Amino acid sequence: MSTDQLAGPGARAPMRAADARPSSPRARHPRSLRARRAGAFYVFAGPWLLGFLALTVFPLGYALWLSFTNSDGLSPNARYVGLANYREVFTDPDTLASLARTGLFTAITVPLTIAAGLFLAVLLNQPIRARGVFRTMIYLPAVVPPVGAALTFKLIFDRDSGSANGLLDVFGANGLAWLQDPYARWVLITLTVWGCGNVMIISLAGLQDIPAELLDAARVDGASWWQSFTRITLPLLSPVLFFQLVTQIIATLQSFLPLLIAVDPTPKGVAAVPESNRLIMIDVFAQYFSNGRYGYASALLWVLFAFVMAVTFLVFKMSRGVVFYAVDPEQTQTKPRTIGDS
Amino acid sequence: MPVAPRGSLDRRRFLTASAAGAALTAAALPGCAASVGSGSGAKGAKETLTIMDVAWPKKDKQNAERALGMNLEIVTYDITKLNAMLAGKNPPDVVRGVGATDVPYFAARGLMTDLDSYFARSDVLKPSDLAPANDVWRYDATSRKQGTGPRYGMAKDYSQDCMFWYRTDMFEAAGLELPSDTEPLSCDEWLDLGERLVKRRLGKVKVYGLSAGTVGGPLTTFSWMTASAGGSLFAADLATVDFSSPEALKALEWYLDYAKSDIGPSVVNPNPDGWDWPTYQANRMAMATDGYWFGGAIGGDAKVAEVSRFAPAPQLGGHRISPCFSGTGYWVPKGAKNKDAAWKYFEWYFGGKPAQDRATSGWGIPSLNSLRSKMPRDTAFHQQSYAVQQRELPYFSVLPVSPYAQVDALNAVLTKFLPDAVKSGTSAGKVADTLNSRINEQLARGKELVG
Repeated sequence: MSTDQLAGPGARAPMRAADARPSSPRARHPRSLRARRAGAFYVFAGPWLLGFLALTVFPLGYALWLSFTNSDGLSPNARYVGLANYREVFTDPDTLASLARTGLFTAITVPLTIAAGLFLAVLLNQPIRARGVFRTMIYLPAVVPPVGAALTFKLIFDRDSGSANGLLDVFGANGLAWLQDPYARWVLITLTVWGCGNVMIISLAGLQDIPAELLDAARVDGASWWQSFTRITLPLLSPVLFFQLVTQIIATLQSFLPLLIAVDPTPKGVAAVPESNRLIMIDVFAQYFSNGRYGYASALLWVLFAFVMAVTFLVFKMSRGVVFYAVDPEQTQTKPRTIGDS
Repeated sequence: MPVAPRGSLDRRRFLTASAAGAALTAAALPGCAASVGSGSGAKGAKETLTIMDVAWPKKDKQNAERALGMNLEIVTYDITKLNAMLAGKNPPDVVRGVGATDVPYFAARGLMTDLDSYFARSDVLKPSDLAPANDVWRYDATSRKQGTGPRYGMAKDYSQDCMFWYRTDMFEAAGLELPSDTEPLSCDEWLDLGERLVKRRLGKVKVYGLSAGTVGGPLTTFSWMTASAGGSLFAADLATVDFSSPEALKALEWYLDYAKSDIGPSVVNPNPDGWDWPTYQANRMAMATDGYWFGGAIGGDAKVAEVSRFAPAPQLGGHRISPCFSGTGYWVPKGAKNKDAAWKYFEWYFGGKPAQDRATSGWGIPSLNSLRSKMPRDTAFHQQSYAVQQRELPYFSVLPVSPYAQVDALNAVLTKFLPDAVKSGTSAGKVADTLNSRINEQLARGKELVG
């Protein structure tokens, strides 16, 4: 409950101390009350703040410092190298290629995942029998640990003993090296989209938030299902889809574990990731733990951070006019409507 | 409820704030550092020894704790975690390691404890009783050479990692003569056998003809073959490699041919099992390049043992060598807090009951000469492998590994460039140039840091 609400109903604008009426609690004990509230805030927020400082701010700061050194984390002779690591990030063809691959992978998988999640949510929003069972089945991949999912796909798509080639074998077709280039990227995309259960659940919640009377009214007016979907459902769902778009982009740009299909999450394993699946986080891992280039890897991460922020900012900018929000009449009216108004 | 663009409602605020919040927090640097326990899980008054190792069965841990009179804290081995613990000055007391490839890197950076004084005082682990393979755990910081200088660890057992096992049933089915127990095959003969033994169906390899990869990855394969041809992959100062030398080029050409022929796991088509045994046991591999230790797995399966034999390491040229690329054992970090307790563990593990049990199991050649008599010879399979192994010992060698980069990092370069070279048919000379520039760049960076 805000202090404004404490001041009584109708007090919507924030109150300054000078505006307070003498009878208000804030006027009687302004400092002690605020101090007590501030104290309570810090007591409750303190543990989190400490954790945030120790486990987020400090590591970030340390990684920033490392990015200006040639440290390998172990050698005694590490030194400050200025912007050399950052220059290398933008001139190293391997890094630029993996950044480009990361962008392309994100551009393909995010829309696909959101579309698949929405499609399934629409299906599972219908009054069908055993709906709960289907929802559970589709959501299950989302709760499978990424390593487990990757192992499952490895078993399915292994060239010599996988069930995918076993199926091709049944039809007399040649088996494919699914987990090697050029097919590996498609297996990875399939694995990523396969985990769209989370997206489906959020879309489903959004769909169930849409007032049924709007759809009923549209039906009475003779709108087809498609018209209702594109003119009512999608616009009302657009904030949910936008939220998913932003979070999916951020998560996908940082993909790591799904890329390790068929390999172990070790430096040796990471080295065996096919070229087309070598996204930026694979490079980061390899630079840290295979090459021992803590400085360069930290610079890579900061560049990735900037890249993610830039993409997110761009998405926010582009969302204007595309994302629709329901209007709260109370907040858009300057004066209360009365019966006399027309 | 009217619909308008860019209105404002709690849900909008919520979603916008959530997305923005997610952007800010999730976009923050994704940390790579592992969360590492301090390993100070003291139970009662007994001291606690932290060991970074592969997972231990609960019963083994209890037995060890009873025998040693101390608590053991087992931290699952993970190189990323180890690096984080070393960097954070909070290392385990004992670390599992691959002597042949880990020692130059960690010892050159001053991260390992010199154990010479402990060996000198020990009644259990006497330097005179140590098998020569333990030299992989020695490093001379002055000359930057492995094999001399202080001892930084000890091998639990060892093998000559380029020897190979083969399936007699598959050779017989293919109408091929069995490889000699005494004379090594040439690498070309070996490749030819692999091509004859491979079985395919509809583009899939049903039975691998030959798994030629050595335990340390492609770099060690090249190192061994180059040495066998009479050259050296690394320069004398270990600061550069030269894949363009005639000997290294020959090794590179051989490997490209092997990978192109698709007769076994390679950088182009890695073994999904991660190692040879599951494939070999499933009757899907005719020849597996693994040292004597692999006999421990084979010996545990009577059916497979009956049709398995051991053979000397093939040679690319006229220099007969049979190197060890592992010498897996333990070392004590310089920053370890319980070094005396770590040594107590060394004496028990390397010289006590565990060492005797290992020696009789066939999982590698014992690290102590005095235990060699315990190697298994009770079946025809064990007798054949023991005899072949004994005859191979004179050709034992430790090949140089550069202290300026981790072997995994150099293998990563090979794994990155070789598949394309195989698919595109790039000439070995061109591949050699690329490998030289990429690997030497890494070594130069490492040299700058080590000094």
